[in-house]
Amino acid sequence: MIRSRHLFRAAALAVVAVLASACGSAPQPVDLAPVSDAAWPMPADVGGPDASAGGSSDNSCDPTASLSPAGASVSSPSVAKIKARGKLIAGVDQTTYLFGFRNPKTGNLEGFDIDMVNQIAAAIFGSAEGHVQFRAIASSQREQVLKDHQVDIVVRTYSITCARLKDVAFSSVYYVAGQKILVPKASNAESLSDLKGKRVCATKQSTSLAKIATDPARPTAVSVDNWSDCLIMLQQHQVDAVSTDDTILAGMAAQDPTVKVSGAPMTTENYGIGIPKDQPDLVRYVNSVLETTRTNGTWAASYQKWVGARLGPATPPQPKYK
Amino acid sequence: MTSTVTRPETSAGTGGTGASAPPPEDPEGRSGIAGLLELPGQAVRAIVKSAATTPGRLSVIAVGLVLLSLVAGLVGTLSAQDKDDTISGLISYREPLAAAAQQVFRSLSDADATAATTFLSVGTEPPELRKKYEQDIAEAGSALAKAASDTTDVGDAAHQVDILNQKIPVYTGIVETARANNRQGFPSGASYLREASQLMRSTILPAAEALYRADTDKLSAEQDDSTGFPWAAVALLLALVAALVVTQVYLTRKTNRVVNIGLLVATACIVLSMLWGAVALVVQGSLVGAGKTDGSSQVDVLARARIAALQARADETLTLVARGDGATYEQQFIKLAEQLVGADGQGGLLGQARDLAAGTPGQQKIEAAEEAAREWSLAHLEVRKLDDSGQYQQAVDFATSVSQGSAAAAFARLDANLQDAIEVCRQEFLDDTQAGDNALTALAPGVAALAVLAAGGVTVGVRERLREYR
Repeated sequence: MIRSRHLFRAAALAVVAVLASACGSAPQPVDLAPVSDAAWPMPADVGGPDASAGGSSDNSCDPTASLSPAGASVSSPSVAKIKARGKLIAGVDQTTYLFGFRNPKTGNLEGFDIDMVNQIAAAIFGSAEGHVQFRAIASSQREQVLKDHQVDIVVRTYSITCARLKDVAFSSVYYVAGQKILVPKASNAESLSDLKGKRVCATKQSTSLAKIATDPARPTAVSVDNWSDCLIMLQQHQVDAVSTDDTILAGMAAQDPTVKVSGAPMTTENYGIGIPKDQPDLVRYVNSVLETTRTNGTWAASYQKWVGARLGPATPPQPKYK
Repeated sequence: MTSTVTRPETSAGTGGTGASAPPPEDPEGRSGIAGLLELPGQAVRAIVKSAATTPGRLSVIAVGLVLLSLVAGLVGTLSAQDKDDTISGLISYREPLAAAAQQVFRSLSDADATAATTFLSVGTEPPELRKKYEQDIAEAGSALAKAASDTTDVGDAAHQVDILNQKIPVYTGIVETARANNRQGFPSGASYLREASQLMRSTILPAAEALYRADTDKLSAEQDDSTGFPWAAVALLLALVAALVVTQVYLTRKTNRVVNIGLLVATACIVLSMLWGAVALVVQGSLVGAGKTDGSSQVDVLARARIAALQARADETLTLVARGDGATYEQQFIKLAEQLVGADGQGGLLGQARDLAAGTPGQQKIEAAEEAAREWSLAHLEVRKLDDSGQYQQAVDFATSVSQGSAAAAFARLDANLQDAIEVCRQEFLDDTQAGDNALTALAPGVAALAVLAAGGVTVGVRERLREYR
C-alpha cells in the first residue's frame, strides 16, 4: 500500500510537471503597478551635439572689426525706414536672466541686452518708450530672422564669428564674455576637461555647443532652445553641467543658490549686435550709438545694474574698425 | 450503488480469490461509470420501444414539447433580460463614462490654458485664475476616477488611464515649480511652464483624447448591440410553434377530436410572447436609436468641437507667451479654427452639430455657440493685429481680460454654450434610452411565465388524450 502511494505521488508530480511545461511557466502574482516610463519630462526640442554650431572653428577673419561710425546719420535709408515705421524691431531673449528676460512682476523685458536696444531706440526716436517691438527668438533663429528682415537688430548674447559674418553683419563689440561651466556646488569640476562622459547643456546653434562637442574630454552635449531650459534640466538632474558664457551662467546661478559658476574662461566671446548684411548704414548708426554709451556712462551704469555685483568691475571693450 | 452493497455476498460466494480477481457479472447491469455511460443508450432504446405504441408516442411528444417550451422560454427570457441589462448599462455606465472622459479632457486642457494665462498676467497672480486652475485640476481628478472605474473591454482605455494617472501629478508638480520661480522673478519659471505645457500637449491630452475615443466607441458599439435581433430565441420559439401545430394536426387525425384545448392554449401563449417581444423590441430599438442620433452622436460632435476650441484657446495664449516666437502655435490655431467652424465660418464641427440638431432643443444653444465662435475669430484677428504691430501688452490685455468683446469673453461664451448644448443632448439621450428600457419592462418575466403556461397547456392537453387509453 505504501509503495503504491509513493507511486501515485510520483505520477501526480509527473502530470503536474507536464502541465506546467505545457503552459510555459508557473503562474506568478500579477504586477499591480507596471510603470513603463517614470522619467521626468524634458523641455521641448531637446537635441544632441553639433560641432559646427556657431562656426567658432572658422578663424579666417578678424571677427571684431566692424564698420566705422563715421558718416552715421538718422537720415540714412535704413534708419529713416525705422523712424518712419515708428518702431525699432529687436530680436531678443526673454529667458536669459540678467541679459534679456521677462520680469514677471512688471511683464516687461529687462536686462543688459534690453538696455542696449533701448539706447538705440532712444537715439533714433528721442525716447525708447513705446518705440520698441521686442520679438523673442530662440538662439537657433538669430541668423534667419536677420536674413528674412523680420527684425532690424538682434541683441541676444550674440557672439561674433567668421562663419556668422558670412550671413549677417555685426556692430562693434559691446561686451566680452568667456565660456565657463555651471555645476552643482558639491562638484569639483573646473572646466570641460573635468566633465568626461558627463551630459553638458547649451542652446542650439550656439558657439558654446560647438565648444562642448569638440572638447577633447568628449562630454555629451545636450542642446535646447533657450538658456533657461539648461537650468531646469540641471535642476531636474537631466544634465550634469551647463557650459556657456559666464554672463549667462551668472544669471542662472542667481536663480538657484545650489549651483556655482566654476573655473577660468575657456574662450573669448565677443558680443555684437546682429544686423542684416545688406544694411551697412544701420551698422554704422548702431556703432555710433555704442560709442555714445561707452563714453557717457550708460554702459557702465547698465553693467553695474545687471552684472557688476556678480562678475566684478569692468570697462567697456574698445571698438575696432575696419 | 446497489452493486457495491451486494458485493460482500458475491465475493463471499466465490471465496478466497482475492481482491485482484475480476468482479463478477452483476445481474442488474454494470456498476459505476460504465453503467452511467450506458444510460443514454438505454433511454433511447426505451423511448423507441414505447414510441411503438400510440400512448407511448404521445408521452414522448408531450415530454419533447414541454422541454422545448421550457428551453425556448429560458432562451427568450435570457435574451430579453440581456437586452434590458445592456440598455441599463448604457444609461448607468457607458454614457457616464464617455461623459467623464470628455470632462477629463476639458478640465486638463482648460488647466493648461489657464496656467499660460496666469503667466501672462503681471504682478501678483490673479486669484480668480488660480481658483480656476485648482477647480480644473480637481475636476479632472474626479472625472478620471469615474472614467477609470470601468475600463474592462473598452479598447485601450486602461492604458490611457494609466498614462493619465502617472503624468497628471508630474504636470501639477512642474506647474508649482514654475509658480515658485515666477514669484521670485526668475525667468526659469517661464521655462518650467513651457515644459509643463509640453508634457500636457504631447502626452497627457493625447491620452485623454484616446480615452474619450475609446469610451465613445464602446458606447456606440453597445447601442448597436442593444438593437440587435435575438436570433436564437426567435428560432426556438418559431420551432416550438411549428411543433405545437404539427402535434395539434396529428392529434386531430388520430383521435377525431376537433381541437385540443391544452395545445391551443400553449400555442396561444407562445404566439403571444412572440408578439409581445416583437412589439417591445421594435419600440425599444427605435427609441435607443433615437437616443443615439439625437443624443449621444450629437454629444460626440459637440465634444469634438469643444476639444478643438479648447486647444485653439491654449494656442492663442501660448502664441502670446512665446512673444514673437509662436508661429507654430498660430498655425495650429488656424487649423483648429477651421476644424471648428470650417473655412467659411459656417461649417466645421459646429455646422455639423447645427445640422444634426435641427428642430431639437439643442439647436438654440448650438447657434449661440456658433455666434460666439465667430466673435472669437474676430477678436483673435484683433489680438494678432495688436501683437504683430508691436502693441504686445495691449494684445495680452485684449486676449486675457474678461471685458466685453475680448477674445477671452468670446471664448468663455463659446465654451459655456457648448457645455449647455452637450447637457441638452445628454438629457435627450437619457430620455430616449430610458423610454427604450421601459418598453422592455416585464418582458423577461412575461416570456418566462408564458413559456411555463405553454408547458402546462401541453401537459394537460396530452394527459387528457392519454387517459382515453387506460
